[in-house]
Amino acid sequence: MTSLYLYPAWLRLWHWINALLFLTLVASGVSMHYAGADWLMPFAAARVVHNTAGILLTVAWIGFVVANARSANARHYRVRFRTLIGDLIAQTRYYMIGIFRLEPHPFHVTEAMKFNTLQQLSYLGVMYGLMPILIISGWAFLYSVYLPETLFGLGSVWVVAMTHVVVSYLLALFLLVHMYIITTGETVFSNLRAMITGWHRENDPPRPETPASAPRETP
Amino acid sequence: MKASRSRAIQGIDQARPDDENPQRSARPASPRARLLLGVCLGLLALSATADGIEVAPPKTTDEAIDLQLAEAAADRHACLRCHAMSTLAYRNPENSDIVGLSLDREALAHSVHGELACIDCHRRSYRRYPHPDRPAPGDLDCIGCHEDEDQNLSRGWVDIDAEFKRSVHAVSDSPEAAGFSCHSCHDPHRFRPAAVGEPIAQIVRNHNEVCLSCHEKLVAPLNTSHDWLPNRDAHWASVRCVDCHTPAAVFANHDILPAEQSEKNCVSCHSSDPQLLARLYQFRSEDDIARRGLLAKAVFNEAYVVGLSKSPALDRLSLIIMGLVVLLLAAHGVGRYLARRANRRA
Repeated sequence: MTSLYLYPAWLRLWHWINALLFLTLVASGVSMHYAGADWLMPFAAARVVHNTAGILLTVAWIGFVVANARSANARHYRVRFRTLIGDLIAQTRYYMIGIFRLEPHPFHVTEAMKFNTLQQLSYLGVMYGLMPILIISGWAFLYSVYLPETLFGLGSVWVVAMTHVVVSYLLALFLLVHMYIITTGETVFSNLRAMITGWHRENDPPRPETPASAPRETP
Repeated sequence: MKASRSRAIQGIDQARPDDENPQRSARPASPRARLLLGVCLGLLALSATADGIEVAPPKTTDEAIDLQLAEAAADRHACLRCHAMSTLAYRNPENSDIVGLSLDREALAHSVHGELACIDCHRRSYRRYPHPDRPAPGDLDCIGCHEDEDQNLSRGWVDIDAEFKRSVHAVSDSPEAAGFSCHSCHDPHRFRPAAVGEPIAQIVRNHNEVCLSCHEKLVAPLNTSHDWLPNRDAHWASVRCVDCHTPAAVFANHDILPAEQSEKNCVSCHSSDPQLLARLYQFRSEDDIARRGLLAKAVFNEAYVVGLSKSPALDRLSLIIMGLVVLLLAAHGVGRYLARRANRRA
């Protein structure tokens, strides 16, 4: 068995705080959006919870961006453009076909690169694309009185509201897919365990001549 | 209308004997006088024939309508000779109030009743002058004409009557509300329905003028009754009083609500329209920041309005996509499980 320490303490702490805030924001956001149903949080409480969690999420996101830029973890976010297309095809084919044939994973986790191409692109899109849009639209919502009356010829508040809700639906989709994909590790819980302990473990050490026994990815 | 036409024809018929001026003298006439009389009678007979041509029944419906309109106009003209005088009024001996009797000629002409003869509504006792000091039973019989409209209305007179009887105007103990009737709001000398294409602001103004003609204290500078309403004057310029002061469920409801039961929930209107909603949110946000400060606003944001970020189509689409993704992931999971089980058995 080989072990790779891929998830430093700050990253795990950020991940789980972020996860908790995400769930809180989903619950309170849904309670505000669909206000009135019995099974939801009371509207007034949901409003304060959502705003507080949103502020904390902003702080956590800035913390992640700064820490990621200053630590070695940033290397995992560098796109390998040279092999991008081939990697994407191989990864997609694996999830659609290979995984049911119990084929070996096309990507091999190393200390230099822990994300497969699909993972890397989706994390890049989420952390540096959707998250800032979500956070900026959230703050724009709070301070909409300082926005111009119209944006792109449409009422500012409406643009901000629709942006916030569309991005939050996309991030909820990401959360669903993310929670499923982490079960595609070596065992159903191996990736979850890695994000708790920090250690990526694999039973069969990869043999360079036969990549067939390469360990599966860690989302 | 038919009645007025036949009255007019009768009037001409009755006038003829006077015009003919029958001989009152019993003294026999001289031959010269007889000749003169013959000529006169011949001329009168000619003129009577001419009258006969004028009163002959109209040949077409259009002619009949033209005749009726002309007669109604003549009738109105006669009444308005006095009633268009702006100073026409009398002092009520019971309470010394001045009761105005003047009409706005222009408003009447543009009103829904503008083409009727006055005596079509003010019947019987109003045909003669001086008029009686109170109407006779059967005068001012609105239903007499309006009964046929029942089937054209979305709700009939029965519904309107029931609504009115529940309304604050009907149940109020206030002496000012005594004797409240349809005419208190729907002045028959002015009333006309809003026309398509008329500016909304004008329609709102016309409507609200009716309410404010009695509730004039509301617009006094120091009146605080509508202070809770953000941008009060903007609301008054673009929303009719009855939009908030009637139950929202029924259109054109005559159940006018008392102040405490009237609509005070901004979201009732503003949630249904994204533009109105955004405007309400901006107003509340400014208020929030002014009261709480910038930081507390970020946490509490009391301005948030339910439905602000709602778009039914977007919500439906998003939930459908999310449901499909969940199904897809579940199917994927089941596929993986089955593949592993098959592998273990092999």
